[in-house]
Amino acid sequence: MNPQEHNESHRLTASGIPLKPTYGPEDLPESVRRGVESSPGSPPFTRGAYPEMYRSKLWRIFQLSGFGDPTDMNERLKFLLEAGETGIIVKHDRMTDDHLYDVDHPEIEERREDVGLTGTVTVGLRDYETIMDGIPVGDVYCKPGGGVPQSAPYTQSCYWSVASKRGIPLDAISGTGQSDFFLTYLGCPMREQIPPKAALRFNLDLIDWCTERMPRWVPVSIAGYNGADSGLTAHQELGAVFANAIEYIDGTLARGKYGIDDFIHGIGGVNFRTSMDIMEDIAKLRAARKIWSDLLQNRYGVTDPAKLRLRIHVVTAGSSMTYQEPLNNIVRGTVMALAAVLGGTQSLGVSGYDEAMSIPSDHAHLMSIRIQQILQEETNLEAVADPLGGSYFLENLTEELETRALDFLAEIEGRGGFVSTIEDGWLMDQANDAQMKAFAQIETGEKGIVGVNSHLVSDPIVDVKAFEGRSGQEAWDNAMSRLTELRRTRSKREADRAVASLCSQLESEENVVPAVMDAVQADVTIGEIGDSFRKTLGNWTPSARIWS
Amino acid sequence: MSGVRVLIAKTSLDGHWRGTSVVARALRDAGFEVIYAGEMRSQEIVNAAKDEDVQLVGLNIGGRVEVAIRIVKALEDAGLGDLPVMAGGTLPETAIRSLEEQGVTCFPPGSSLRDIVDTAESLTSQAP
Repeated sequence: MNPQEHNESHRLTASGIPLKPTYGPEDLPESVRRGVESSPGSPPFTRGAYPEMYRSKLWRIFQLSGFGDPTDMNERLKFLLEAGETGIIVKHDRMTDDHLYDVDHPEIEERREDVGLTGTVTVGLRDYETIMDGIPVGDVYCKPGGGVPQSAPYTQSCYWSVASKRGIPLDAISGTGQSDFFLTYLGCPMREQIPPKAALRFNLDLIDWCTERMPRWVPVSIAGYNGADSGLTAHQELGAVFANAIEYIDGTLARGKYGIDDFIHGIGGVNFRTSMDIMEDIAKLRAARKIWSDLLQNRYGVTDPAKLRLRIHVVTAGSSMTYQEPLNNIVRGTVMALAAVLGGTQSLGVSGYDEAMSIPSDHAHLMSIRIQQILQEETNLEAVADPLGGSYFLENLTEELETRALDFLAEIEGRGGFVSTIEDGWLMDQANDAQMKAFAQIETGEKGIVGVNSHLVSDPIVDVKAFEGRSGQEAWDNAMSRLTELRRTRSKREADRAVASLCSQLESEENVVPAVMDAVQADVTIGEIGDSFRKTLGNWTPSARIWS
Repeated sequence: MSGVRVLIAKTSLDGHWRGTSVVARALRDAGFEVIYAGEMRSQEIVNAAKDEDVQLVGLNIGGRVEVAIRIVKALEDAGLGDLPVMAGGTLPETAIRSLEEQGVTCFPPGSSLRDIVDTAESLTSQAP
């Protein structure tokens, strides 16, 4: 493409919003004034969640991490903390944890070499004690795992139990769950997941439980990232995230135990993706805060400004990271991190430069932290809140995204709400269609990806090796030994009692969290907890038309 | 390639469907009849390949190469050694070498959909 063609072509944002060559005062209609003229830290929060933003509190450096044995996980966490990470995330093995399978389950035995490749393997609470060995549980902000709703009560119960065993009261520990619908039913749909309605119940149980006992814990964190990296465009991601939040709010209100002011803090910590269209993503984060503030005020009558504040975690797009010339991804990570910071994120994870070939090596992890530290300490960016506020282009784009997001939200609600559009596959179709369009742009060369479809060189010079973690089936062998040991040394009677009690709790309408907590403390294995769920709640089957 | 049947399966339980779904759609748009099998064990893939009478198997690999090779060997053991196999996913170079030794054609991230479709057409046009 020569520069001439470049200028004449019709330019759009990644989500398809037309772009003009320049923006001016005429692009700031009266309607944007309320957001533009507000102060950071005040409703509608377009300009930031807090008055002084990063001067009062820097964003949290919060990287996804985990592989191999619990000892590997522990070692990596200590490495990341030493490098300057300010919150920790425990990533579990997707095969065993997300499916709640013991390592001797036939589905796992067949794929034993894969165990530990996507996260650390736990067989029960004892492994969680190993993961947290020497980690200051009471002092560090932690996301203990539980990306999918069915594993969220297990992983959080394990973490909370480690804290209790150390004598740290639950109301003193801070961190976040995830328990995300986008991951489970849209981004990475897997077999043997509890159905969406059961997942909703679990999440409402977590909200209930934490509201009563854990004021510093965010029980659920809606992860728009997982929708966006599966294709949803910027405004679709926004609309779907808030449609999901509405289900949590309405569900909790319907239980009649709490008023919205009691629990809304636990729902207002969400996650978005930033990608390479950085102006659109900066606008997206600003629009998100405004939509949330207006929604709570107008629909739910929330008046306390502190309750209207949306807190945002950003993960940079893994899908933007290329397999070819992987060191270019350090630049991409920096650019996407910049979008998160200029959009006013509260915490940030930068995807590893080796993302397209493996989970992060220690060096890739270090680079993700260094990118953030360089932005925090060497740029002066943290000195002024909402540094781009007032930009004709950005304010116009913020409003355009808000309008489109509210339309998408209305469409979801018109289709029966978020869970309905998950159940019938509609939301998945939207993601899939958008994703095909994005791929087509790369395929035709309309969108250039340096080193992949443009500016190719015959020898990219630098070679990066995929991080392999533990080799062969070592992590599986080690987990088998721990599982055997756990079964041999626990009180079988106590474990059986806890499983029976969990099953009866699942069949009742009672909160599931205390029963899972009881089970992990009775050394019930992860697979036995999963079996209890499968027996009482059944499984979700992805809509067949997803791939047809 | 109208009516040529291709089985698409995931070898690992990681759940990521993005690449698989895009490739499945591209093949379907090129006229292939795509049977999307999702996450399957080796014997299930062998059974599906036989039952569905496919002329090509496409594997998405989100885990280690040993698991994929177990599937290729299971196909051979079941007398389906002539069935062409293509693979994509997060494939380190060492994995690509091992798979190519088994006769599997590999497409790492960033591969062109056109190349994938062309290869699928050429592999199946020689089929009996």
